[in-house]
Amino acid sequence: MIAASGLPCTAGIGLRAPHVAHVRELRPPVDWFEVHSENYFVDGGPALAALDAIRADYPIALHGVGLSLGSADVLDGGHLRRLKRLVARIEPAAVSEHLSWGRVDGRHLNDLLPLPFTAEALDLICDRVDAVQAALGCPLLVENISAYLRFESDAMAEWDFVAEVARRTGCMLLFDVNNVHVNAVNHGFDPLDYLAAIPGDSVAEIHLAGFDATGACLIDTHGARVAPPVWSLYRATIARFGPKPTLIEWDTDIPPFEILQDEAAIAQSVLQPFDAIAA
Amino acid sequence: MPSLRELQCGLAAAIILGDRDAMPALGIAGGTLDGDARIGIYRSNVFANYRKALAATYPVVHALVGPAFFAAVVDAFVRAHPSRRGDVNRYGGELAPFLASYAPARELPYLSDVARLEWAIDQAAIAADAEPLDLAGLATVPQAALGTLRLVLHPSARLVVSPYPIFRIWQAHQPGHDGDAPIDLAEGGDALLVIRGADGVSLQPLSPSAHAFLAAVAAQLALDAAVDRAVTAEAAFDLGEALRQHVAARTIVGFRASVPSRRADP
Repeated sequence: MIAASGLPCTAGIGLRAPHVAHVRELRPPVDWFEVHSENYFVDGGPALAALDAIRADYPIALHGVGLSLGSADVLDGGHLRRLKRLVARIEPAAVSEHLSWGRVDGRHLNDLLPLPFTAEALDLICDRVDAVQAALGCPLLVENISAYLRFESDAMAEWDFVAEVARRTGCMLLFDVNNVHVNAVNHGFDPLDYLAAIPGDSVAEIHLAGFDATGACLIDTHGARVAPPVWSLYRATIARFGPKPTLIEWDTDIPPFEILQDEAAIAQSVLQPFDAIAA
Repeated sequence: MPSLRELQCGLAAAIILGDRDAMPALGIAGGTLDGDARIGIYRSNVFANYRKALAATYPVVHALVGPAFFAAVVDAFVRAHPSRRGDVNRYGGELAPFLASYAPARELPYLSDVARLEWAIDQAAIAADAEPLDLAGLATVPQAALGTLRLVLHPSARLVVSPYPIFRIWQAHQPGHDGDAPIDLAEGGDALLVIRGADGVSLQPLSPSAHAFLAAVAAQLALDAAVDRAVTAEAAFDLGEALRQHVAARTIVGFRASVPSRRADP
């Protein structure tokens, strides 16, 4: 079964630098990989050569972290050009970014900062998604983020904001189940309310990752196994949306590749029964 | 209610500069944590991210000063030199000049030059690839015109010069290094070629004439002028031998006629 994005409706793995040589040499049985776009905003060299080699054997999703779609500054034309150049070279199965901002007055914070859920922010981010989709000539997948604060000016729920971006722009959604759980705990809502508001036809990819629970807030570290409540929410997500390409992300304290394969196998076991029905 | 721009300016100031005056106007919703604590989470994430990124770019600077000092350097650097790109991998090019005037590092006068070397290594790893020099094309250049050619270095090639022995300092902090001979700062400086080859980025100490020659090539001087510089540095400079070496090692990958064509660099 092929998803709207061009990715297979199976489990994939986020490919990070420590595992690139392993994947390139041993070609492990993984259905698809996702990489951070910005890591390949380079003119040449071994990292780009390795990605060229890996993309010949696996579908690749490009996941951006630095476009700052929700910034009040104008869209960074240089960043968009570099992304466009990479998309032309890699021909990815999906291109994604975040519903966040990271730059103001030309200063970048290189982080995924939360937007207020206001009409102004919604108008702005929809314009930006339109502009990026026009520039890339393909649908953009936009991802819901984890947040550690909310604004009093919020005029709608996060899930209504996310769904409205998809409805207005025709973009696809990258539904991060871990981020929904983190926000549900941090801001006190029922994640099933979130799930109910998301149009399943717009969801082109799912992310799963681990968080840190040692502080006053859940922190989205991508540094641990997927937590049990996130697996539960993932099962509910697949039950509602049907099988979707699902990525295991791990970015800090990156473990041996086999651990990522274990996590992907768990996700695959959730996807499998649905795929059998669809077939 | 603040505009989106006001809100983002205020949040950036609160996160990066610790500016609490901006906080009340932002309307951060309360709950179990107050606004200060919530901003504090972002501040620690943002600075941890920069410390990690810069430690990856500057591992020897990090090793020379230790994690606590390095963290203080990064925090001060981030406030003085904001990131301008959404790609954190390309952040930190101004660390060397920043360290040169960073008072707490005054007792490590070589630190800035080590940072300059590490930035050159970092940039060499991601520079464009290049084909070897076209020897057949070179053979068609009339003998009389050879001296007016401008040679082209590999896009990854960078020259780093220091009055301090930065090559030995750098070597002493590489994984697997087992020598522990003391390094005398007065032992003399280094001129290094940083370049990426098939096996990754390498550092090559250069003789005075080799450095003078490559620096002249990098400055796009004509071959005759580059040879003059090399011979001035060391009378025994052998152009034929230098060219054989640099072409074989792909340090020199091209040549241009003396009058730069407007279409030469698209």
